Amino acid sequence: MSKIFLLSKIMMKNAGSAWGNKKGSGWKSALLLLAIGIGVLPLMLVGVMFMAGLYDGLALIGQEGALLGLGVALVSLAIFVLGIVYVLSVFYYSQDVEHMLPLPLAPWQILGAKFLVALFYEYLTSFLLFAPLLVTYGVKSGGGVLYYLFALLVYLVVPIFPLVLSALVVMLFMRFTSVGKSKDRFRLIGGLLAIVAAVGFQAVIQRQTSGRMDNIEQMQQMIVNGDNVLLNLVTQLFPASKLAALALIGSDSWSGLGYLASFLLVAAVSVVVFFFAGNRLYFRGVMGISEAMAKRKKVDESAFQKLVRPRSALMAYGLKEWRILWRTPAYLMNCTLSSVLLPVIALIPILSRQDSGEMLASLSARLQGDEAGGISLAVAFAAFLAVAGANSTSVTAITRDGQGFFLNKSLPIPYAKILIAKLMPGIILSVVSMLLLLAEGGWLLQLSPVFVVYCLLIGIPGIIFINLFGIMVDLHLPKLSWSSEQEAVKQNLNPLFTLLASALAGGLAIAGAFVMGASMTVVAVGLFALFAILDLILYRILVTKGPVWMEKIEA
Amino acid sequence: MIELTGVTKSYNNTIKAVDNVSLTIPKGEIFGFLGPNGAGKTTTIKMITGIIRPNAGQIKINGKDIATETLAAKRQFGYVPDSPDMFLRLKGLEYVSFMADIYEVPQKVRNERILQLAQRFDMTNALGDTIQSYSHGMRQKIMIMGVLVHHPEVWILDEPLTGLDPKSSYTLKEMMREHADSGRTVFFSTHVLEVAEKLCDRVAIINKGQILFCGTFAEMQQHFQSNNSLESLFLELTKHE
Ligand SMILES: Nc1ncnc2c1ncn2[C@@H]1O[C@H](COP(=O)(O)OP(=O)(O)OP(=O)(O)O)[C@@H](O)[C@H]1O
Ligand SMILES: [Mg+2]
Repeated sequence: MSKIFLLSKIMMKNAGSAWGNKKGSGWKSALLLLAIGIGVLPLMLVGVMFMAGLYDGLALIGQEGALLGLGVALVSLAIFVLGIVYVLSVFYYSQDVEHMLPLPLAPWQILGAKFLVALFYEYLTSFLLFAPLLVTYGVKSGGGVLYYLFALLVYLVVPIFPLVLSALVVMLFMRFTSVGKSKDRFRLIGGLLAIVAAVGFQAVIQRQTSGRMDNIEQMQQMIVNGDNVLLNLVTQLFPASKLAALALIGSDSWSGLGYLASFLLVAAVSVVVFFFAGNRLYFRGVMGISEAMAKRKKVDESAFQKLVRPRSALMAYGLKEWRILWRTPAYLMNCTLSSVLLPVIALIPILSRQDSGEMLASLSARLQGDEAGGISLAVAFAAFLAVAGANSTSVTAITRDGQGFFLNKSLPIPYAKILIAKLMPGIILSVVSMLLLLAEGGWLLQLSPVFVVYCLLIGIPGIIFINLFGIMVDLHLPKLSWSSEQEAVKQNLNPLFTLLASALAGGLAIAGAFVMGASMTVVAVGLFALFAILDLILYRILVTKGPVWMEKIEA
Repeated sequence: MIELTGVTKSYNNTIKAVDNVSLTIPKGEIFGFLGPNGAGKTTTIKMITGIIRPNAGQIKINGKDIATETLAAKRQFGYVPDSPDMFLRLKGLEYVSFMADIYEVPQKVRNERILQLAQRFDMTNALGDTIQSYSHGMRQKIMIMGVLVHHPEVWILDEPLTGLDPKSSYTLKEMMREHADSGRTVFFSTHVLEVAEKLCDRVAIINKGQILFCGTFAEMQQHFQSNNSLESLFLELTKHE
C-alpha cells in the first residue's frame, strides 16, 4: 500500500506543475492565479447563487433534498466524462508507464498509483462546483458539524465510482484497439465516433428538454416530478449518488450513517472491480503504446521527390509544425480537430430546439435590419474571437516543442521568423473555424453578402490578435518539461489566457456596438481599424521583443 | 575553427558548470572533448551552439561571434544533440529535408546527398517511416544525416557514437576523418577513450567545469612521463583528490 502512495507521488512530481516553469518568477505565477481567479470565481459565484435559489424554491415544497441528489448525480456524470480524458492521459499517454513496467512492482500497485493520480485531478476539478454545492446546502439547511464531516467524506468518495467507470471504458477501448498496425488511427476514429455519439445523445436530450429548462421554477418542477430523461438517466447510471445524498440529508440520524456506510461499500466494491478488471486489461493495452507503424521500404522515386522539394526556411518550419499538429493524437484532438468540431458542436443547441425553425427565421430578419445590424456584426466578431480563443494551437506553440525547443536556438534562422512560422498553423485553423461558422450562418440565417464580407474584414484581424496574444503568453510561461504530449496541451493552463482575452475583447466589442448604437458599416470599419492597429502593435512587439523572450527561455 | 575565451556558465547562480574555459580548435582537426559525467561537456557544447548563453567569455566559430553575429555563426556549424528523441512524428526523410530547407541546400545536391548518406548509414529503407519507429541508433543516425546534409564547415557532435552499430560507427569516424582532412573542423564529446585515442588529433579533458589538459595524446604521455593508455591517464587525471 505504501508503495502505491510513493509511486503516485513520483508520478505527480514528474508531471510537474500545470503552469510554466517550476521556478517561474513570482509575478508570472501571480498573474496566472489572477487569471484563474477571474475565470473561475464568477463561475463559482453564479453556481452558488443558482444553487441557493434552487434550494429556496425546493424548500417551499419540502423537496430541498432533491438538490443534493441531483447535484451528486450530475457531479458523477461530469467526473465520468472528465475521467475518460484523465485516464487516457494518466494511464496511457504518460511515458512513465514504460519505466514502471520493468520495476519489481505488482501490477495492482502501478494501477493503484495511477488511479490515485487521476483521482487527485478529479478532486481539483470537482472543487469548482461540487464543494460549493455541499457548502451551500450545509449553510442553507443549517447543517451541524456532523453534516460537514459527512460532506467531506462524500466529497472524497463520490469521484471513485464514476472514475472506475471511465477507467473501465477506457481500458476496454484501449485493450481491444491494441491490434493491427495503424493503432493510432484506429483509436482516433474510435474517439471521434465516441464524440459524435456523445454529441448526438446530447442533442436528443436537448430536444426533449428544450423550452423546459429556461428558468429556475421550471427546473424545480422538473426535479420534483422527475420527468426529465437526462436526470433520470443520470440517476440510474450512478445509483450510488442517491445513497450519498440520503446520507447527507440524514446526517443527524442513524439512518444517515447507514446510508453513508452503504455508499462507502459501493465505492469499495467498485475499487475491487477496478483492480480485478485492470489486472486483465491494462497491461495488454498499454504495452507497445509507443509503437509506431513502420514499413521499412524504400521510398519510391516520386514520393521521394515530393518530400525533398525545397522550401523557404519559413515555409519549411511552418510545415513542420503543421505536420506534427496533425500527426500527434493529443494535438489533433486539442488543436486541429477542435477548430472543426467547435463550430459544428455550436450548431447542436440551435438545431436541437423544437422551435428552431421559427427562432432562426425571426433572428435572421432582425439580424440584418439596420438598427441591429451593428450589434449582430459585433456578436459575430465575438463568436470568431471565441473559437480562436478556444483553439490552443498558438498558445501552446512553444510548449509543444518540449525539450526539442532548445534545438531551435542552434538553427540559423532568426527567432522572429520561427515565431511567425509557429503562428501560421493557429491562424489558419482559426480562419477555418471562422469560415465554418460563416457557412453555417449563411445556411441558417441567410446572411447577406455584405454581412459576410464585413465578417471576413473584421474576423481576420481579430483572429490574428488572439493568436499573437496566445504565442506571447506561451513565450512567457512555456512548459517544456512534459513527459507526454497530452501533458503539453491538457495539463497546461495557458489556454485560459486566450479564452479570457477573447471573451473580454468580444464582450467589449458587443458592448461598444450596443452603447454607440452604431450601424453595421461603422462597426465593421471601427473594429477593423482597431484590431488592425492592435495587430500591428502586437506584431511589432513580437518581432522585436519576442526573440529576447525566447533567448531567456533556458533549462 | 572554434575559439573559446574565458567562457563561464553557472546554472541558477550556484555551482559553475563551466569555469573560465579557453580552447582553440583550428581547422583541419578532430578534437575530442572528454570528461566524467556532469563535467560540463554538454554545457560547453550548448554554449558553442547558441542554445545557452555564457555568463562570461566569448565564443567564435570561424571568426564569427555567436553572441553578436549569431546567424552567420550558426551557419558555420552543424550540431547533433546528445538526445536524439526529437521530431518523432516526422518521417526520417521529412526531417532531413526540413534541415536542408533551414540551411538552404539547393535541390540538386540535396537529393544526391540524402541518398548517399542514407546508403552509407544503411537507412534507405527507413527514410519513409516516422522517427518514432526508429531504434535509438537509427534516431542518432537520422540526426547526423540532418547535419551532414547541409555540409557544415564545423561539426559539433555531443556523444555521437553512443548507440551506433560497428558499421555506422566506423562510417561516422571515417567521415569525421575525411572532413578534418579537407581542412575543416570536428568537435565532439565522447566517453569512449579508445576512439578518442585513435581518432582525435587533440583532446581536452574537462572536470568540474575546468580544463585539466588540452593537447595531443603524445603530449599527454610526455606530460605525465608515462606510456600508459589514455584510459589510465584519464582516470589518473580525474580521480578524486
Ligand atoms: N538544466 C540544468 N540546470 C541545472 N544544472 C544543470 C543543467 N544542465 C546541467 N547542469 C549541471 O551542469 C553540470 C554539467 O553538466 P553537463 O550536462 O554539461 O555534463 P556532461 O559533461 O555533458 O555530462 P555527461 O557525460 O553526463 O553528458 C552538472 O553538474 C549538471 O548538474
Ligand atoms: Mg552530456
